[in-house]
Amino acid sequence: VWGSVARTDAECCPAGWLPALQLLRHGSKAVTRHWKAMHFQRQKLLALTEYLPPRPALPPRCLPRPAPRQQQEDGYARVLRAQLEATLRASRMVAVCQYNAMADEDVATLRHFLRRHDIHVKFVLNEGSLQDPAVPPRGALQFPPRGALQSQAQLPFPGACIDDTILSRQGVESVARLPPLEVSQGQTVAALSVLPSQTCSLLQRGPAHLVALLEQHMRHLRGAGGAVEPPPGTGNQ
Amino acid sequence: MAAPLQHFRRVPAMWRWRLPGLLRAGGGPGGVAVPRAGLKKWRLPPDYSGITIPEKPKLKFIDKVPAVPKVRREPRRLRDIRGPSQVATDFTQGQYGILALGGGYLHWGHFEMIRLTIGRSIDPKSMFAVWRVPAPYKSVTRKSLGHRMGGGKGPIDRYVTAVKTGRLVVEVGGRCEFGEVRPFLDRVAQKLPFPAVAVSRESLQEMRREEEQRRLDNQNPWTFERVVTSNMLGMRKYLSPYDLKLKGRYWGKFFLKHRV
Repeated sequence: VWGSVARTDAECCPAGWLPALQLLRHGSKAVTRHWKAMHFQRQKLLALTEYLPPRPALPPRCLPRPAPRQQQEDGYARVLRAQLEATLRASRMVAVCQYNAMADEDVATLRHFLRRHDIHVKFVLNEGSLQDPAVPPRGALQFPPRGALQSQAQLPFPGACIDDTILSRQGVESVARLPPLEVSQGQTVAALSVLPSQTCSLLQRGPAHLVALLEQHMRHLRGAGGAVEPPPGTGNQ
Repeated sequence: MAAPLQHFRRVPAMWRWRLPGLLRAGGGPGGVAVPRAGLKKWRLPPDYSGITIPEKPKLKFIDKVPAVPKVRREPRRLRDIRGPSQVATDFTQGQYGILALGGGYLHWGHFEMIRLTIGRSIDPKSMFAVWRVPAPYKSVTRKSLGHRMGGGKGPIDRYVTAVKTGRLVVEVGGRCEFGEVRPFLDRVAQKLPFPAVAVSRESLQEMRREEEQRRLDNQNPWTFERVVTSNMLGMRKYLSPYDLKLKGRYWGKFFLKHRV
């Protein structure tokens, strides 16, 4: 080994330059310092007994993208969310308004006025945990258990949800102008009961009057479309 | 200004103060605190109740040479860095530490590096560090430079401490979190003469749990242990008795962490 090293050095080195006679030894060349070559059979055994991960039923690229990890909600946000949900469920009308900067007295009087009509104003912060595209930041929610509405220019709102129906601003105004439910039901019933009552009175006046009316009707038809169509069924009467 | 509000502003003053909310100091309009800023979501602070800082929180100075009456030259006995460690594998006082992932020898320079780096990085009022390795005890001999071979064993060059795989080198604890101690523990770990990582109690437990999970999940029916114990294909001819114990996870001082 030494001879071969000296020869190669002598080949590549310029003449007159002698390589160091003894190479420097760096540290102890202990047996375990390096990776000792394994027996080939042992290498084969290690290659055979590799770890095989369990194969998933679906390849991972076919799975939906994993949802971003949700931060653990703290208790206060959970309580707020539960309260908001309960209120949204319990109230018939929900209107979401932008909260404008108003004087405190104005807000108080407005709240008091709305309270008379059973409309409650709540202030909700559009937090990350209570994220809802429908709730504008710094929104004021109004929850009347029964519908009573006044137009407010102070708190402009884009629309409202009344009885599980989303209405625009105009829709809300027209709903507010509607009579109460009992009155409209009574009107409908009255309108429906007019026709049967008229028929009933017609039948009670006697067949002669009815025949006269029918003849007049036929004459009217004949006068209107006489030129176009022949008089139908005159012999039948 | 809206028409209804114009009307309501004309509420007499004596009536206005009867509104319930206005009496409340700082209650906001109408008695409701209008949220002006975001919710403050503070994390619960970790529980440091059971932690006591020892009298001397920093690492002790380690002697370069053991105080033995008779200096003895030892054989190399390389098996003291081979295989898994049986001692100091679990935490005692601290919560974070440096885990060896291979065998090797620590000499006094390493001890000084660890001591100085950790002593510089920790806050002695709220953190502490303890050694989990003994002072250098094993003598390593070295022949002087340019010395002819032969002539018996050379003089003692230095003393070292043997560290096996899975041993904790130092422990750090106190009122601190893993994120605080991890950078300097990693810096120390990469200067050690064997692969090492910074671990916390939880991450060490998680590491062991994952290892166990991998062992249970292995789909390969041919495991090293099975082949060796039943001597399939006469494999024991090429294997050592240590392989019965180490199950092919160690090779010399190296720890083959990808194997099960």
